[in-house]
Amino acid sequence: MVFLKRINRKLNFVILVAVVAAFFKYDFFLPVSAVAAPAAQETSVEGKIRVSGAWALYPMMVRWAEEFKKIHPQVRIDVSAGGAGKGVTDALSGLVDIGMVSRELRPEEIKQNAFYIPVVKDAVFPTINAGNPVLKEIFQKGLKKKALQDLWVSGQNLTWGQLAGSTNNQKIRVYTRSDSCGAGETWAKYLGAKQEDLKGVAVYGDPGVAQAVRKDKTGIGYNNLNYAYDMKTGQPMDGFQVAPIDVNENGRVDPGERLRTKQEAIKAVLSGSYPSPPARDLYLIAKDSFKGASKVFVNWILTDGQKYVEEVGYLKISAKQIKDALDKTGK
Amino acid sequence: MKSRKLEENIFKFLMAVSLFLVFLALAGIVLVVAMKGLSSLNLSMITQTPKGGYYLGKEGGIANAIIGSLYLIAGATILSLIVSLPVALALQKDYLSRRFADFTRLVLDILWGTPSIVYGAFGFVIMVYFGLRASLLGGIIVLTLLMIPIMSRAMDEAIRLVPFELKEMSYALGTTKIETTLAVVLRQAFPGLCTAVILAFGRGIGDAASILFTAGYTDEIPRSLLDPVASLPLAVFFQAGTPVPEVQARAFAAALILLFIVMIINIIARILGWRFSKNIVR
Amino acid sequence: MFKGDLLKKRQIKEFLALFSGRFVLIFINTLAFLIFCGLLLKAKPILHAISISDLLFSSSWHPMKSEFGLFVFIISTLEVTMLAMVIAIPVCLLAAIYLSEYAGRCFREFARLIIDILAGIPSVVYGLCGVLVIVPFVRAIGDFAGISTTGYSLLSGGLVLAVMVIPFIISISVEVLRMVPQPIRECALALGATKWETIKYVVLKKARRGLLAAVVLGVARAFGETMAVLMVVGNVAQLPSSIFDPAYPLPALIANNYGEVMSIPLYDAALMSAALILMFIVAIFSLTAHYTLSRIGETIER
Repeated sequence: MVFLKRINRKLNFVILVAVVAAFFKYDFFLPVSAVAAPAAQETSVEGKIRVSGAWALYPMMVRWAEEFKKIHPQVRIDVSAGGAGKGVTDALSGLVDIGMVSRELRPEEIKQNAFYIPVVKDAVFPTINAGNPVLKEIFQKGLKKKALQDLWVSGQNLTWGQLAGSTNNQKIRVYTRSDSCGAGETWAKYLGAKQEDLKGVAVYGDPGVAQAVRKDKTGIGYNNLNYAYDMKTGQPMDGFQVAPIDVNENGRVDPGERLRTKQEAIKAVLSGSYPSPPARDLYLIAKDSFKGASKVFVNWILTDGQKYVEEVGYLKISAKQIKDALDKTGK
Repeated sequence: MKSRKLEENIFKFLMAVSLFLVFLALAGIVLVVAMKGLSSLNLSMITQTPKGGYYLGKEGGIANAIIGSLYLIAGATILSLIVSLPVALALQKDYLSRRFADFTRLVLDILWGTPSIVYGAFGFVIMVYFGLRASLLGGIIVLTLLMIPIMSRAMDEAIRLVPFELKEMSYALGTTKIETTLAVVLRQAFPGLCTAVILAFGRGIGDAASILFTAGYTDEIPRSLLDPVASLPLAVFFQAGTPVPEVQARAFAAALILLFIVMIINIIARILGWRFSKNIVR
Repeated sequence: MFKGDLLKKRQIKEFLALFSGRFVLIFINTLAFLIFCGLLLKAKPILHAISISDLLFSSSWHPMKSEFGLFVFIISTLEVTMLAMVIAIPVCLLAAIYLSEYAGRCFREFARLIIDILAGIPSVVYGLCGVLVIVPFVRAIGDFAGISTTGYSLLSGGLVLAVMVIPFIISISVEVLRMVPQPIRECALALGATKWETIKYVVLKKARRGLLAAVVLGVARAFGETMAVLMVVGNVAQLPSSIFDPAYPLPALIANNYGEVMSIPLYDAALMSAALILMFIVAIFSLTAHYTLSRIGETIER
């Protein structure tokens, strides 16, 4: 009797081990969904491409990876975020093949043989609550750069009335980004400072600032293009408006400076009537150069991949920039 | 006598209020998460990996994150158990000088108080040094490091609670220290040990900062220990960071799934605890 | 001879156990030491660049200008954790006492389940819920009291931390209280004490050490929490003048900037030194707690 019990226990144990081993060995959790039959345009590229870096480029890279995999189903692309700094460190130490960077590269980084090319443009816009007391005046007159500097750099306690030239005496609540990010750096650059000098309550992440402004009628913040406008409708996100900047300082908002919809914003950036910064290029970086599968990927991004750029919510870089980049990576 | 009764009733009231607040906090969180996430929760979320443009609102699911998290936490829990249980046992007075034990407890407390991002940073630096890439193995190791302090300390506290008369009775019968420990102390402290594992599990499965740098992220299910792996906290993190409101709602759905997993594991662990604690002396 | 062999085997087992026990402890300590050394190594550049007193006591934090004063962050960390403890400790203690002394078994297990689930919620979720619920709540309180606040404040951070820490403290406290031997309670009751008096004068005294351990664990967790706090605390590098002002604790500083500054050695080193300072604070706190305990008299290891 005891003998039988022992066998029973051993058997249970063996079965348990077998199950666990099977679970680990095979992905039998995952129902394989059929991938649409790929039209192999060129000889299929194989291998692994690892990408990491800036949040700003993350949605775009994910889309590019997916589209590229449709054409080259043998390729495995892993995309993770973690910030532009991580992207640079990972790329320069060889941990990833491609790094995503949402800011200008620093001299120390370039010295380490950083090889970078721009792939899309992005822009940061000042955002205010849709229920802002002086909304109309702001839309008419726009915000002057000096006012923005007063708010974010010198940290003065202005009221909305002072900003818009009315009698409103509600204090402006300034928001900024708490995490070191390309958006913050770019916005600060535009105002002539560094991100660490920006004043205001710092919230984490682009959606964080958007959320803060959305809930605060007297709030003002800044967001990337994608986070300021709804991706589908092109209108500013719910509860939100984009405040136009009076770039030429003529006291009113000219048609070229209007930022009421995403289309207008894109036009303003591409035509140059919205300054750069806070519009900026986003880069891909590698050590020395892109090799192998990643080289094919990058070349594809610069050519066919560009057609997904606006769909995902970014701005295209100029044709000249594309040509330069393609020359740089070599064919 | 009246004032004594009054004092008791006042405190009973305060206790009820405290408990109510605690439940309120949990109910609040679950409600918020459920309200924002339930609408996005569907079967395809659990069974499919992200397809193209998932983070921008298209189809797919987070099966990669669910399975990834399960892999990570399973590996980390097993490894931490292997380390923590001996540590907790060894910290008992029977085994070595009090000073060394107290010092180790202090060290464990400090480790427990270190923010998880420091573990992630540390792990990342080591991985860069060895040229390792972000992978399942890296994630498991960092999570193990994260979980060891709480598991050891909580187990240690649980084992310390075993009344020493029990141990003395066992010694009086002529057992050695290790035999007493295994046969008597462990059994007596079993519910406490379960609590320790549950607490560590909770910390490990929900932590994002440590695995952000060490486990990477991917849309696929890892096929080997050296592949990067997705995880639920990171899935929540990334989805909450996209500009698309539907995807942000999906972040809450992912959080709901995570809550659900935690709940199930807790229930299983508690049931196991009850079944094995029949002979406990109280 | 049979008896002799068995005795030898047992002695060998005992020796092995003692040996591996020591080995495992040395292993753990070495591991901790390695982590500590690693951090120290990474933080060295900053210690060479500026003096320790500047690092600890200067309020000026401008990394791009090579100014690395962590004073504001240290104070913020202490304040936010203290606030969280002031909120959490009474609640936890009372709830734990109720659960272990007054509640029936079913209710207790049910409550423990709920509390364990609270312990398993990822910090990102706490952060998101904090932004959705606690920040407007604090802002409403501010409006009611006539104070202008965005809601992203010390108070929000303290509240979120308190909720995160509560499950740990309650879990361990309940365990500790349950393990107080029943005969002790019966003795007190036999002497004419009410249930509450039994708890107050007898049970709590017996469980003191374990309860303090629970609190220490909770506090350590509070010191180390990153994501949830940084989403609600406002992240402004200024000393908060009231609990409605934003604050900037050390873990938030590390988490906000770590991903971006890996390529700049001095900034990186400063963040690592922030981590070291945090560990130091936890160490001081833990030592103080244990010292207090030994002063009260709980030195006997039972």
